[in-house]
Amino acid sequence: MITSYLAITFTFFFMRLIPGNPIQSYVQALLAQGQYTMAEQAKQIVDTYLEMFGLKGDLLTQYVSFMKRLLLHFDFGPSLIAFPRRAQELILERLPWTLGLLGTSVVISWLLGTILGALAGWKAGSKLDRALVAFALAFSQIPFYVLAVFLVLLFGYILGWLPTGGAYNPLLKPGLSLEFIASVVKHAILPSLSLVLSTAFSWLLSMRSLVVTILGEDYIAFAEAKGLRKITIFQKYVVRNALLPQLTNLGISLGFIVSGSVVVETLFRYPGVGMLFSAALTGLDYNLVMAFIVLTTLAVLTASFILDLIYPFVDPRVSYGE
Amino acid sequence: MSETIKLAKKVFDAIRSNRKVLAGASILAVLLLLATLGAAIYKARFARDPTIPGTFYPSLYPSPEHPLGTDHYGRDILAMALVGLGNSLAVGMIGGFFATLIAVVIGFAAGYKGGLLDHALRSFTDTLLVIPTWPIFATLAAYVTIRSMPVFGLLVAAFSWPGAARAIRSQVLSLKNREFVQLAIITNLKTYEIIFFELLPNLLPYIVVSFSYATMGSIMAETALRFLGLGPPDVPTLGYLINIYIPMGYLSLMPFTMAFILILLAAIFVAFNLINIGLDEYFNPRLKKITGM
Repeated sequence: MITSYLAITFTFFFMRLIPGNPIQSYVQALLAQGQYTMAEQAKQIVDTYLEMFGLKGDLLTQYVSFMKRLLLHFDFGPSLIAFPRRAQELILERLPWTLGLLGTSVVISWLLGTILGALAGWKAGSKLDRALVAFALAFSQIPFYVLAVFLVLLFGYILGWLPTGGAYNPLLKPGLSLEFIASVVKHAILPSLSLVLSTAFSWLLSMRSLVVTILGEDYIAFAEAKGLRKITIFQKYVVRNALLPQLTNLGISLGFIVSGSVVVETLFRYPGVGMLFSAALTGLDYNLVMAFIVLTTLAVLTASFILDLIYPFVDPRVSYGE
Repeated sequence: MSETIKLAKKVFDAIRSNRKVLAGASILAVLLLLATLGAAIYKARFARDPTIPGTFYPSLYPSPEHPLGTDHYGRDILAMALVGLGNSLAVGMIGGFFATLIAVVIGFAAGYKGGLLDHALRSFTDTLLVIPTWPIFATLAAYVTIRSMPVFGLLVAAFSWPGAARAIRSQVLSLKNREFVQLAIITNLKTYEIIFFELLPNLLPYIVVSFSYATMGSIMAETALRFLGLGPPDVPTLGYLINIYIPMGYLSLMPFTMAFILILLAAIFVAFNLINIGLDEYFNPRLKKITGM
């Protein structure tokens, strides 16, 4: 709660202290169109706009009215690039695309990385392990957007198998038809693949190091001495324990989905919140940028809050109270 | 001075004894050579500077004269890519330098002074690590017009310092309680003497590792900003080139040209990642047991 309040406040003042007043230039553009030549009228218009965008009065008044609007109505004010629609409306409209694309990708990459990492750690030192680790070490830090352009180049242009942008074939009507869904999936493959390929390696490395560490513990030696079957030790003793930190990190990654969507969506012209943010940046849209930043912060904090709540169920050693 | 020589020797040892650092440093050395010597030699082929707009016909396909073709401004793309490579590395290193500087100052202030200052700085750093700061700084980059490379480096540094600050703080904390530092405190050495002559030399390895990490973080942040179309066009980097060439349709017109630029960019990340992991292993041998190779 306090963290999110501080983060919102920080963002608010940060945004207001950045020079350049977009409303002023917007109004000037209106005036330049010659529709409003009377000085009196012009002043009124500027006033109305300032009021509407919450830019009236000194910084503190602006801050109070901003917080009041946000807390009482969950309203960020009108957007500039899609005036007069509200910023939060635009974001909510785009959110399902982002959650669908990035949420699925993060989960797939987590599953893939965790399974491969567990196997590599279990067979540490084997050929498979060495190959996986060498590959992962070299490629885990190539950012997904570099990989994404590679994939677009390869599959989109050289091979021509997959579409290079957008979320669905614009000739189809959105709806629950099979054709439309197939088109959505087809368009999601490349952005999703770039995310999965670039993040699965880090999941692999972290899971592997967890498994290797656990294999050195005394209770594993004891389980072996007891004559438990290898597969039982692997499932119940090794993977079960290694999964806990992996799950925590999955939760954190899910929280970062919204902020991570910006580059990948812009690159693939995917109609999610990330592309909206990038358009808002180019259009210097105060309220929309503000709404996006608040949303990303809330997403991360909510994810960590939910994690705290479910942790006692996943890990019996953790309990609150008593 | 002798400390610097010792550190240089240590880093040199790390490069020699660790295969990953060796591989990463070799790639980086090749890239640096390409960006400096390679660019100079290649540019000398032409009568005029091939990176000035309008020198050649625009959008020529690759040919012996222009191995990667020319772009829509009539510039030789190979020359642009080599210059861009140099700029990417330069912005990254400037960013890495500033980020390390910020991290060292904050880490030392928090770790050495302790108390309320430590508490305040630590919560600030932790907040920045927890909340997604990326959109905030992207916004800054969108609103502020930047023209020079150092300023851009400073902006990019804003993305990459908090992790390093935390690592340095914890190292300062652990060093502070060692006997030799306690002795220095008892013998009434001045604070700056303790910091510069007792703590800093012992932390140099960590600072080198932080610098390497921060440089990679800066190049990442820089490229991501470029992909959104932000950052100064006067400083063409690899990310900038990719960003302006994609809308021109070069992905389909000159796929191998684009592939070359992408490979240069990917090579930077591979090189720094190998160096980072290798240095980490060298300075924290316990890590090696975990990665095991």
